Amino acid sequence: MTQDKPAQGVGRRDLLKLSAVAGAAIAGASLIGSRTAAAEGELSLKGKRIAISATGTDHFFDLQAYNAQIEEVKRLGGEPIAVDAGRNDGKLVSQLQTLIAQKPDAIVQILGTLSVIDPWLKKARDAGIPVLTVDVGSTNSINNTTSDNWGIGKDLALQLVSDIGGEGNIVVFNGFYGVTPCAIRYDQLVNVVKYFPKVKILEPELRDVIPNTVQDAFTQITALLNKYPEKGSIKAIWSAWDIPQLGATQAVAAAGRTEILTYGVDGSPEVLQLVADPNSPAGADVAQQPAEIGRTAIQNVARLLAGQTLPRETYVHALIANKANVNEVTKKLGIG
Amino acid sequence: MSVDIQLAPVIHFEPGVSTSKPSRSGNLAASALRAGSLVAFVAILLVFSLTAPYFLSVGNIGNVLGQSAISGVLAIGLTIVLIAGGSNVVTGGIDLSLAANMGLSAAVYATAAQLGYGDATAVAAALLTGLLIGAVNAIAVVVAGIVPLLATLAVMNIVAGLELVLTQNTVIPASTPLLTALSSSGPLGIPALAYVLLVFTLIAAAIVQYTSAGLQLYAVGEFPDAARAAGLPVRRLVAGAFIASGLCGGFAGILSVSNLSGSTTGSGEMLLPVVVTALLGSVFSRRLVPTVIGTLLSTLFVGFLVNGFQLLNISSVLVSGVQGLLILLVVSATTLLRRQEA
Repeated sequence: MTQDKPAQGVGRRDLLKLSAVAGAAIAGASLIGSRTAAAEGELSLKGKRIAISATGTDHFFDLQAYNAQIEEVKRLGGEPIAVDAGRNDGKLVSQLQTLIAQKPDAIVQILGTLSVIDPWLKKARDAGIPVLTVDVGSTNSINNTTSDNWGIGKDLALQLVSDIGGEGNIVVFNGFYGVTPCAIRYDQLVNVVKYFPKVKILEPELRDVIPNTVQDAFTQITALLNKYPEKGSIKAIWSAWDIPQLGATQAVAAAGRTEILTYGVDGSPEVLQLVADPNSPAGADVAQQPAEIGRTAIQNVARLLAGQTLPRETYVHALIANKANVNEVTKKLGIG
Repeated sequence: MSVDIQLAPVIHFEPGVSTSKPSRSGNLAASALRAGSLVAFVAILLVFSLTAPYFLSVGNIGNVLGQSAISGVLAIGLTIVLIAGGSNVVTGGIDLSLAANMGLSAAVYATAAQLGYGDATAVAAALLTGLLIGAVNAIAVVVAGIVPLLATLAVMNIVAGLELVLTQNTVIPASTPLLTALSSSGPLGIPALAYVLLVFTLIAAAIVQYTSAGLQLYAVGEFPDAARAAGLPVRRLVAGAFIASGLCGGFAGILSVSNLSGSTTGSGEMLLPVVVTALLGSVFSRRLVPTVIGTLLSTLFVGFLVNGFQLLNISSVLVSGVQGLLILLVVSATTLLRRQEA
C-alpha cells in the first residue's frame, strides 16, 4: 500500500497543481459522484452473505462506517454478518478465522493493524473469499475505500490561502509525516503554497504528539505567540488532523490573537462546533464521510459480485466545513 | 508466616464442622451442579450443532480449539495458583499479572525476533521473562507476605509498564519459522495451536493431577494448617505455583505472537476472561475444585459460546453478558455449597 500510493500521488498531484491554479476544484469531485450514481441502479446483493469485520466501533468514524455498511447490505437485499472486535486484536483474528469458516460471499474489513490482519486476509483470499477493505490498504484486498487525501489536502490549503488573502506567515504542525494520509495532506499544502509567493511556512515546523495532543499544541502555540507578539505576524495555523487544531484554537483565543485562523482535518464534532462559532478563530475543518465510505464499500462488493472490475482504491470525497457552510456540513454528516 | 493463613479460606478449618448429614446433601448438590454444568455444556453444543451452520465441522471445532489456546494456557496457569492458594477469590490464590505477563513476554519475543535473534533465543527470552515475573510474584507473596491479590496487582502494573517502555505502545510485527509453524494448520486442517493446547493440557494435567507434588498443592491450598503439620514445604509449594503460572504466561506470550503475527497492545484485556475461565473451571470437576481438565473444559465452553454466537449471527454484545451471568452463577453456587458443607 505504502508503495503504490506515492506512485499514484505523483499523477494526481500534477493534475491537482493544474486544477489549483485554474481554480477548477469541483470538477474532479463531481466526476466521482456521477460515476457512483450511474452504476447504482443495477446493484443487488440478493441471496448474498456479506461479512463486515470492524476493528472497533468506539470511534465516530468506525461506528458510522460499520452501521452504514450493515444498512447498505440490507438495503441491497443481502444478509450482513457483522462482527465488532472492540479494538482487541486477538478477538479480531478469531472473528476473521470464524468468518473464513463461514464462507461468506465477501469480507469487508474496516481498519485494523495491517501486520495483524494481513495473514488472515490472505487466508480468506486463499479460501476463495473476496476481501475488500475500508481505510486500510492491503495487497490481499481487492479494493480499498478511503477518503481522498489529495483532495482533502488541496481543499484545506486553498481555503487557508484564500482566507488569509494570499499572503502572510503560516505555522504548521508536521509531527506525523510518517503516516501516509498526513504526508499527502502536508504535501498538498506545500504544492498550493508554492504558487502563492507571499505565503510563507514558518520554520521550524511544530511537531504534534500523541497522547496529550491538545495540551501539547496549546503549550507550543502559546510559546510561539510570545515569540511573534505582533498582530499580523502570523496569519494561520495548519495541522494534518484537527486535534492539534483544537489546542491551537484554544491557545489563540486565550492569547486574544483571534486574527489568527486555524485549519485541520477529520471533522471532530467539537472542532466543527468551533468553526460554527463566529467568534472562534477556527477557520475550517475537512470532514471525512464515514457513512458514505461504508456505503461505497458495500456497493463495491455488489459491483464485484456482479462481475465488474474494481479499481485498487475508491476515494470518497471529503467535505470542507468553513465559517460559511459548517451548518450544512454537520447536517450532511448527521451530527448536527 | 501469616501469609499461609491468609491464603486459606477460613471456612475450611473451622473445628467440628463435619457432621455427616449436611455433608451428604452438600455432596449431592455438588454432583448435581457438576452434572448440571456438563449437561448445560452438552446441551449448548447440541443447540449450536442443530442451529448454527458449519458449527459441527472439523475445521470449526479446530478453530475454536486454536482460538482457545492462549486463554487456555493462561487459565491453566491461573488454575495452578488457585489450587495452591485456595479458591477464595479475595484472600486465596490469584495471579492478576498473567495477562500483562503474556503481553511483555510477547513483546520480548517479537523484539528479539526483530533484532535478528533466532527462534531458540527468542523462545528462551520469552520463557525467562515469564519465569522472572512468576518469581517476583512468589517472593512478594511468600517472602514479603503480601496477599496475592495485591501482590500480583502491583506486579501486573510493573509488567504492563515495562511492556509500554519496550514497545512504546506500538505493534511489533514478527515472523520466524516457529511462528509460521504455529500459525499454520496441522493434520486434518486443524490449526497447530489447537494441538499445542491439547498437548499442553495433557502435560499440565499429568503433573498437577497425577504426581505427589500436585497432590501436595491441593493439600496446601485446601488445608494449609494440616499440610504444614504434615511437614509439607508449604511456602516452597506456593512459590512454585506462582513460578509455574509465570512460565505459562511466557508460553502464552509466544502463542500470542504467532496468532497476531507480532506483539500488539491491549494484552491486559485478557485478564478478566482468564480469571472467569479459571474460576468457572471448578464446576467441571467432581469435587468442585480447580482442575486442569476442568479449566480446559471451561475454556472450550466459553470458546464455543463465542463461536456459536458468531455463527448464528448474534451480536457479540450478548456474549459478554452471558459470560458475566455464568461466573455469577458459578461463584454463588460454589460459595453456597461450601457454606452448606461447613
